[in-house]
Amino acid sequence: MPRAACRRRFAAALPRLLAALALAAPPVAAETHFVIVEGLGGSRQYAREFREQVEDLRLAARKAVDDDTRVHVLAGREATGERLRETLAALAGDLSGGDALAVFLIGHGAHDGREYKMNVPGADFTGAQLKGWLDAVPAGQQLVVAATSSSGGAAETLNAERRIVITATKNGREKNAVVFGRYWAEALSAAEADTDKNETISALEAYRYAENKVKAHYKDAQRLATEHPRLEGDLAGSFVLARLGSAAQAAADPAKSALLAQREAIERKIDELRLRKDDLPEEPYLDALQDLLVELAAIQEKILGGRTPDDGGRP
Amino acid sequence: MISRTASAARAAVFVLLFSAAAAAALYPDRGRRPELLEPCDEHYDRGRRGQAAGCYRECIARSADPAAQAEAFWRLGDLKSANERFRAAVDAAPQDPDLRVRWGRLYVQSHQEGEAAKLFAEALEIDEHHVAAKLGAASVMARRFEGAALEKVNEALEAKPEQVEGYLLLARMALEEGDLEKAEKTLRTALEKVESLQASPLETYSLFASLDLLRQNPDSAWIDKALAHNPAFGKIYAEQAHFYVITRRYREAVERLRKAVALDPALWQAHAELGVNLMREGLEAEGRRHLEIAYGGDPYSAKTVNTLRLIDSFGDFVTLSNKDNAALLTEEELSASLTKPEILVKLHKDEAELLRPYVFELAERAVVEFSRKYDFTPKKPVHIELYPNHDDFAVRTMAMPGIGLLGVTFGYVVAMDSPSAREPGGFHWGTTLWHELAHVFTLEATEHLAPRWYSEGVSMYEEWQGDPRWGESIGPDFISAVSKEKLLPIAELDRGFIRPRFPGQVQISYMQAGLVCRFIAGQWGEGKLTALLRGFARNVSTPDNVEAVLGLQAEEFDSRFQRYLREFIGPALDGLKSWRGDMRKALEAARGKKWEAVIESALAAKETYPQYVGSGNPYVLLAEAYDRAARRGEAIEELLAYERRGGRSPEMLKKLGKWLEEAGRGAEAARVYDGILYNWPQDEEVHRRLGGLLYDKGDYRRAAREFHAVMALDPLNEADANYNLARTYDKMGDRPKARRHVLLALEQAPTFGPALKLLMEIRE
Repeated sequence: MPRAACRRRFAAALPRLLAALALAAPPVAAETHFVIVEGLGGSRQYAREFREQVEDLRLAARKAVDDDTRVHVLAGREATGERLRETLAALAGDLSGGDALAVFLIGHGAHDGREYKMNVPGADFTGAQLKGWLDAVPAGQQLVVAATSSSGGAAETLNAERRIVITATKNGREKNAVVFGRYWAEALSAAEADTDKNETISALEAYRYAENKVKAHYKDAQRLATEHPRLEGDLAGSFVLARLGSAAQAAADPAKSALLAQREAIERKIDELRLRKDDLPEEPYLDALQDLLVELAAIQEKILGGRTPDDGGRP
Repeated sequence: MISRTASAARAAVFVLLFSAAAAAALYPDRGRRPELLEPCDEHYDRGRRGQAAGCYRECIARSADPAAQAEAFWRLGDLKSANERFRAAVDAAPQDPDLRVRWGRLYVQSHQEGEAAKLFAEALEIDEHHVAAKLGAASVMARRFEGAALEKVNEALEAKPEQVEGYLLLARMALEEGDLEKAEKTLRTALEKVESLQASPLETYSLFASLDLLRQNPDSAWIDKALAHNPAFGKIYAEQAHFYVITRRYREAVERLRKAVALDPALWQAHAELGVNLMREGLEAEGRRHLEIAYGGDPYSAKTVNTLRLIDSFGDFVTLSNKDNAALLTEEELSASLTKPEILVKLHKDEAELLRPYVFELAERAVVEFSRKYDFTPKKPVHIELYPNHDDFAVRTMAMPGIGLLGVTFGYVVAMDSPSAREPGGFHWGTTLWHELAHVFTLEATEHLAPRWYSEGVSMYEEWQGDPRWGESIGPDFISAVSKEKLLPIAELDRGFIRPRFPGQVQISYMQAGLVCRFIAGQWGEGKLTALLRGFARNVSTPDNVEAVLGLQAEEFDSRFQRYLREFIGPALDGLKSWRGDMRKALEAARGKKWEAVIESALAAKETYPQYVGSGNPYVLLAEAYDRAARRGEAIEELLAYERRGGRSPEMLKKLGKWLEEAGRGAEAARVYDGILYNWPQDEEVHRRLGGLLYDKGDYRRAAREFHAVMALDPLNEADANYNLARTYDKMGDRPKARRHVLLALEQAPTFGPALKLLMEIRE
């Protein structure tokens, strides 16, 4: 690849890199809770689709946290605004600043020009109501994914410091049923979404995967895209949503924590080097990168217990 | 453009065509003009420009008649004022059909044919027998190459035989269709009428000069006669150029247009035509200069402005040569390129990296194969241009957006849509390029004398020969045309391209021409196609050439071709009705998920009309039905048959590729994926899968090409793409490239296991 093209691609990756560097805390929150809401389908087909998406998300969330009590699914008659309020209120009492909260809304939404509402059994809840409930939860990292029609209309309302907001549409005027939820659910277990090959899927990786798939969906169907996903917030690169392969077990192994810390230190050096890429001629840059990677490979081998990196990717 | 509404007229732009435009006053059949213009028209017709201009200005000052003022402004080149005065004249006399006809003529000259047609129709509403209105409508149809023009002219001639324009229109259409005898006869009549009516002879001389040109005598004595009448009549050369252009002889058109503007430097439209045609010859700098001159004299000509805008956008394109080592992957390719014919490719910067290797490879193969087959070596590099914006391509070819063509060949220059200009599956760029490159040979080997049917026929035939998967897919419209005996005899086949008489006749003529060439190659051998080419290069007519090369009279050829067609089409010829019925049943059964019923009806449909692979074909239905019925092997066979017949849906072929992979038939899957690239090269997954299969097979050079394509598509997963390139270069023994790509992979994903392992193996 020519140097110029290489730089272009790197520039595209910069926001993620900066987000990762801005995060001083360890990449995995002390405790992550998932709340998944399945809205009304309105038709048999949508009801089935939403049910499947919610089920996929539930499985991915369970795999990520390895604890059923941290995955709260509100489906069917349970998926009311009131139940959501109660669930978040309970979490507000349980979680602290070191914890993380992810809320996934799957279904149909609407926007009347003033406010967003999600269609659920009983009274629909609004974006402003949801914001109020979320603001009360002290979790230091929050992620809200509104995979519904018109959800872009809630993006500004839901915005808050240290909160990532992902919506299926650009604004409230994109009112058609969306496919974003389908690909978001798929992203959480797709190896293809793990673009940095660290066997975890961050919110940013999942977003990019789903966004890509939505574009391809409309292109392949030769239809004008009626949804344009949107991401707000800087911390999406560091919000771990799912773990693939052996990553879940290894992360919990205290014997390897020193090695993991060493590896993270080298990864930070690589990130710093990447930030200087445009200022360096290509060869010295690659030489420096290689030195760091050789060092990292040695640590990686120890983490894998003598196996070569090829055997196990990254725990 | 000029506008009929007063408010729009204020902001109107104007198109000045030939400054020495046809003298309408001298042709009363074009609508009545005020008598006081006659002395001015006489100066104008004789080329006394200063006197004519003074005379027209005086008319404007002297006359209160808005119609006279409009005509005078028109002659002075002030179309805006002419338009306003015509509007005033029509407002004052709304029931005067002559005024609407004259106003319509102004619109014809400013290329606003839709508005002109409306005015002629309005005139005919006022007076349904109005001859000038009928002729006006016919002239619009003739400019659009509509077959109905002929009928309209004949109507007008029947109503009023004592006129000139009707005969001139008939003669022009005959010339455009290549019927030179009819054209001459009609022109002789027109000349008699000119003399008896004492009308201007210039347009008649002009068409006589074009007739001579089509008879290989461009420097006709009629030019001398015309210039004796009007020494500044540059239009006579521009008229000749028109006939060169429509017979695709752009080089010769350029020469005529140069003479036209030398004689009358204010022929802005001729400058524009010259600019466009110079560009068709690949002479961009000189072309631009003439377009700028045209723009200076007529800044609002859509054709000029569009082309200049396109030239301005060329900064976003790159031109690459197949002999440029930067474009080649390996030393072997570089060394092989030295003996290859040079090919230049102009691509948009955003897609050059992706398309370059595929375009070069296909073009090289075509040029080598056609050089051998048609015994002609290109005398200069073939220049291929691909436009991702269809309107840019349209401007490049016709100088106007909105045309439905896919590709055009101007001698050594081929311009076409890039695959990204169309929706996936909607455009097979590989066959289009192959088709156009065949034109380079049929046109250049005959110095553009090959008749249209032959050039298109060879291109169609070669398209079908280029790859076993590009087989001829015969549509129901063609079968229906054969069945209803609507095909033209070979001697008149060009007419089907130039002035179609019924909807779809152009497409039917393409297919017929292709099958004529297929018939000749099959019955007498491909060498006869080359022998015909040689005859056409000597300007032998189609009937004489057929007789000399094949030993048959054209009529005998036609009847043998008919028999061949019936055999070739087979049961579909009389079975379209039952085919439609079976397909309907199959589709209904598919909606009800009754897969066995789908299979039964779709098999019957396929039996009747196996050539059909368009939308709603039986192969795809059968594949789905077999797959649903857990008969994957048969499903695969159906899609393979679909592909062999020329089925091109990227979605279906991708499914076929995956099924073949799952069935452990990797080599076939690779072939299928490779085929998709000539239709829709933008699919990252296809490149990735193909690259993987080629890598596994040990075809590292082609695997590298595919993995580079993945990178060019800006993939979601760059680490994988770079790693694939790294391991491929490693296998090719190119360690520096392998190292670079593995480091780029790890830059994105530092703990990517296989990449780390490869780095440890190859690090310096």
